[in-house]
Amino acid sequence: MNKITLTINGKIFNLLVESHETLAHVIREKAGLSGTKIGCEQGSCGTCTVLANNQPVLSCITPAMRFDQAEITTIEGLDKNGELHKLQQKFVEKGATQCGFCTPGMIMTALDFVNNYPSPSVDEIKEALSGNLCRCTGYKKIIEAVAEYADEFKSGKKVNIQQPNHISRIVGKPRPYIEAEKKVKGAAEYADDIKPPNALHCKFLRSIHAHAFIESIDTSEALKLPGVHYVATGKELPVKFGVLPISQDETAMAVEKVRYLGEIVAAVAANSEEIAAQACKLIKVTYRPVKAFLEIDESLKDLGENEKIHAHCKFNNNIHKKAELRFGDQQQGLKDSAFTSKMSFQFEGVSHGFTEPHAATAWWDENGLTIITATQVPHYLHRALAKVMEVPLSRVRVIKPYVGGGFGGKSDPFPHEVIISYLARKTGKPVSVRFSREEVFITNHGRHPSKLEMEMGISRDGIFQALDADIAIDGGAYGSFGVVTSYYNGVLLQAPYKLDNFGFRTYRVYTNKPQCGAMRGHGAVNSRFAVETLIDDLAHQIEMDPCEVRMKNFLDSNTLTVGQYRITSNGSRESLQKVMEQSQWKNRYGKLEYGHGLGVGCGFFISGSALPIIWNELPQSVVHLKVDFDGRVVISSGASDIGQGSDTMLAMIVAEVLGIDMENVFVLAADTLLTPVDMGSYSSRVTFMAGNAAKMAAENLKKEILESIEKKLNITAGEITFSENRIFSNNRQLDISWLEGIEILTAQRGAVSVSGKYISPKLGGDFKGAGAGLSPSYSFGACIAEVRVNPQTGYVKILNVWGAHDCGKALNPLAVEGQLEGSWHMGIGQGMSEQMKYYNGLLVNNNFLDYRIPTTMDTPDIHTNIIETNDPEGPYGAKECGEGALHPVIPAIANAIYDAVGVRITSLPISAEDVLKKMKEKNLNPEKISV
Amino acid sequence: MIAEKKFLKPATVSEALEAVQQHKDNFSFIAGGTDVMVNKFQGNHDASCLIDLSGIKELKQIILDQEYLKIGSAITLDELTKDPDVKKSVPVLIETARAIASPIIRKTATVGGNLLCDNRCIFYNQSEWWREAVGYCLKCDGDICIATGGKKNCFSKFVADLAVSLISLNASIEIVGPDDKYLLPLEEIYSGDGVNPHKFSKSSIIKSIRIPIHRQMRSVFKKLRQRETMEFSSLTTVTTIDQSGNIRIVLGGVDPRPVIIEGTDADDIQELIKKAVKKPRIVDNDVFSRLYRKEMIEVYLQHSFQELIS
Repeated sequence: MNKITLTINGKIFNLLVESHETLAHVIREKAGLSGTKIGCEQGSCGTCTVLANNQPVLSCITPAMRFDQAEITTIEGLDKNGELHKLQQKFVEKGATQCGFCTPGMIMTALDFVNNYPSPSVDEIKEALSGNLCRCTGYKKIIEAVAEYADEFKSGKKVNIQQPNHISRIVGKPRPYIEAEKKVKGAAEYADDIKPPNALHCKFLRSIHAHAFIESIDTSEALKLPGVHYVATGKELPVKFGVLPISQDETAMAVEKVRYLGEIVAAVAANSEEIAAQACKLIKVTYRPVKAFLEIDESLKDLGENEKIHAHCKFNNNIHKKAELRFGDQQQGLKDSAFTSKMSFQFEGVSHGFTEPHAATAWWDENGLTIITATQVPHYLHRALAKVMEVPLSRVRVIKPYVGGGFGGKSDPFPHEVIISYLARKTGKPVSVRFSREEVFITNHGRHPSKLEMEMGISRDGIFQALDADIAIDGGAYGSFGVVTSYYNGVLLQAPYKLDNFGFRTYRVYTNKPQCGAMRGHGAVNSRFAVETLIDDLAHQIEMDPCEVRMKNFLDSNTLTVGQYRITSNGSRESLQKVMEQSQWKNRYGKLEYGHGLGVGCGFFISGSALPIIWNELPQSVVHLKVDFDGRVVISSGASDIGQGSDTMLAMIVAEVLGIDMENVFVLAADTLLTPVDMGSYSSRVTFMAGNAAKMAAENLKKEILESIEKKLNITAGEITFSENRIFSNNRQLDISWLEGIEILTAQRGAVSVSGKYISPKLGGDFKGAGAGLSPSYSFGACIAEVRVNPQTGYVKILNVWGAHDCGKALNPLAVEGQLEGSWHMGIGQGMSEQMKYYNGLLVNNNFLDYRIPTTMDTPDIHTNIIETNDPEGPYGAKECGEGALHPVIPAIANAIYDAVGVRITSLPISAEDVLKKMKEKNLNPEKISV
Repeated sequence: MIAEKKFLKPATVSEALEAVQQHKDNFSFIAGGTDVMVNKFQGNHDASCLIDLSGIKELKQIILDQEYLKIGSAITLDELTKDPDVKKSVPVLIETARAIASPIIRKTATVGGNLLCDNRCIFYNQSEWWREAVGYCLKCDGDICIATGGKKNCFSKFVADLAVSLISLNASIEIVGPDDKYLLPLEEIYSGDGVNPHKFSKSSIIKSIRIPIHRQMRSVFKKLRQRETMEFSSLTTVTTIDQSGNIRIVLGGVDPRPVIIEGTDADDIQELIKKAVKKPRIVDNDVFSRLYRKEMIEVYLQHSFQELIS
């Protein structure tokens, strides 16, 4: 140990540090300043950026000893005397922070940059921020915030902060997240920031085989290591769990055999992470490897004498689920078509890439088990923990702190959550765990690698006649959401176009790789790519503008699809029209020079799964409102804000209904002891379902207030308005303040609690599989992309993306834009550079250097359009905006490449190499060029 | 017994060399540390004593005279990109530096550190668990090269982009050892052995880099990478021609060492390019395939010569 002195944010810290300890570790664990985040520990994500002697450094790869005696500025050092730094204010105001995990690093980098370059161009800002990854925003709002700050910084003009209008109308006005200030100050606490001082640390021993029997585990040496409290192995936790009741196929640690490289085999709880890691190395495991199944095709086949991955597979193969639905007659439809197009597609798996690694702390006390964890689904985790720990549901409490992004990757109950709960029980102490980035990647649950073959037919006048798809998806070692994914790959093709002859067959197979699950745009991103590509091809065959073809085939509003989805509001046409106009499609499509092209794609998505995962009659969301003498309305909701802004959405709806300003509402969310049931943040359900529950609760409260006023004042108030913190009648016979109204209410009733709930209407057909993809509403959208392709290298540069998305009603346009921009950015990543690359089942690119999330430099100009259609059942007409927008962007890029160089993309990610190869093949066979 | 970990911050070169004498058995220099610290995190770097050169003032000078530009090895890549003398005399170095890593890393990473950045391979730059699972490769004390499916040579990639440019510019380095001080053409410190890619004495320090600007060189730099920032090289080419018509093509990212092809403007350029395509030992240890990288050598060099001639 060495003694060093750091002056952090003006305060002197005398600290004992290890010789090679990183500055990030010292700042967080020894100086106790958790605003500086750790996202990758390899200098590849930028979230740990701090200033050391006024120079930005990546504190996760900086030895603390280098900066003995130095002045360190962290995010906590920027606000002064209760006021945010002007750059922080800009981040708040522009909506540049969503999950908030990259925000501290992003602000520190930007601050140093603008101090040194007071009048940067947008390109210079992009370059300066290119070492800081953000997975939520698509960078657009961050760049805007920095540009505006620089502008005002340079001109010396006072930074003009637009205060959102507090009263009159709230819904529909752009507004920063209610917790945005906390996030830009580094004061928002994420799971790894909350650790009781006496917590033990947990590390895992992970399998080095893809598929092997565990012959023996010897933990005796590990147990002897001083500081080790407990070593757990799989046999101690045999109860199976999984997010779907039909796929309870996972145990907390491998029991008897391992099914993927990286599966947890043993877990250590020790006084420090270092001791726990050292103990893991002392555990001796002998394995007996058996044949590993790593590819879809292999898992589909009869496996002969080989060992099945899961004994429960019905036949002698590794098929997990087969789903098939057929409507009309696809074969006849194809026969009746004037033109058909059939292609095979292949998609690599991709992962969520949220910037906050999984982390959690669990303990047991008089209330049973409490766990604070980075989760999107406290409710399902609550159930899984009760099951595996074998305690009643009433003895489990799940708390979701601020979560640094999820995108579906934190929507399963996870082994590490189960294991630390168990270790906490065994040791009688709190146990904490945090993942390395490598562990995050091998835990995966990302988008399934997929292979599919699809055929579509079209009439001469451009009407789709049939769609038939054969799909196989690679589920990895366990079930996760896979059964749902299997269906979504097919059923989510029955819109946004009218199709009478539609059918599909999907196989989900187990392989000996990390499991796949739900990821933004769940299930339908890859098959949507295929459909939109085929449509582009068909449009060329019939020599019709691909936008016109789509316009001709869109479903109408208020209609049913062939599989009996109830389509209510539908902004497909408006969305496509908007991006056509903005991109000057009509003047430019098909007319640009070689190497330069435009392409289009459309899509749709569910706005909340109508059926709950665990079938029961309970409401899908409940919101309680409590109001007391102080006039403040406490919103209690189980909905999980993971950076998408659901807490703000709830507050806005309640404030709007009650005509009070945002300062009179307070959100208490996602704590299963204190908040009512909500299924969680998945299937884009929160705005629609929790939003409706909040609205109903507020309306019920309003009713209570009215009744008490009528009773007290003995008046029939007639048309009563709640607005501007007042309650008044049109004739002003009644005109009291909100607080006076609450006094009348509480005098009669005491403090009041009311509830609202949401239950989906009964929807859908009565055939098997009819429930998949049912939703009370659907979102629609369109994208046009502009690309330039280098004819010599095949390199594709995206120049512009114009996107439009029908979100029903933008309750908070700032948040909606943020969701859309983030979706398009994530789509660009899957399209251009992201893939899970395996070598014999071992994930090769398990870090942010090699798993290539687009940086600011790789993200084109994004042009955002919100389309509003006022959904009849959505709260104030709102529906989803966080997932569906992703669908159209990838095919738009691929179709733009076709427009640019005549090359059809059938696999993702799009590689320069593949484009170049196809360009050459085409030029060698000029007769094939038929445009 | 694990040696006690140390972190030393010598103020001068001679203090640094003294520190070496005291910790001979298990030390490593660290400059910016942007590679060393990551390699440590992954368990590929286990020196118990780190000797930090980043604070040594005599390593942080840039001197321009009539004949040479001298760059101190502890100059950061960011400082290099902003230096007016560098900009004036060898602009290709600025372009090169700006293509390395990300702007934030360049604030810490140094010129000397880049020259001595360890070779990389997807089968090597991994955690300890990962390397155990794949079955340790040659570069981490295993028996075979996994990237090539079992060869007995290590083909880890040489990724020091700055070295590619500097070698093309005929740069020399000033080396200071415990007992000596000498100048060496930069290329001579690269061994071509992927396991131990640097062949100069571990206890010596690169003090500065000397570029013969009097030769009036013009260079073209190109780099292949998937994203426009962050990435290590999949292929770097620098083509330089001097006032006498001497041509020096250097390739990085495709071989365990920088690959040099020399010629003059009297040579058939196409023949030079052919040689350049043939010479490196490219294997499939990168996000781009071996064949594509080979193909890009030709494309990049054709473009480079066009730019140099026009």
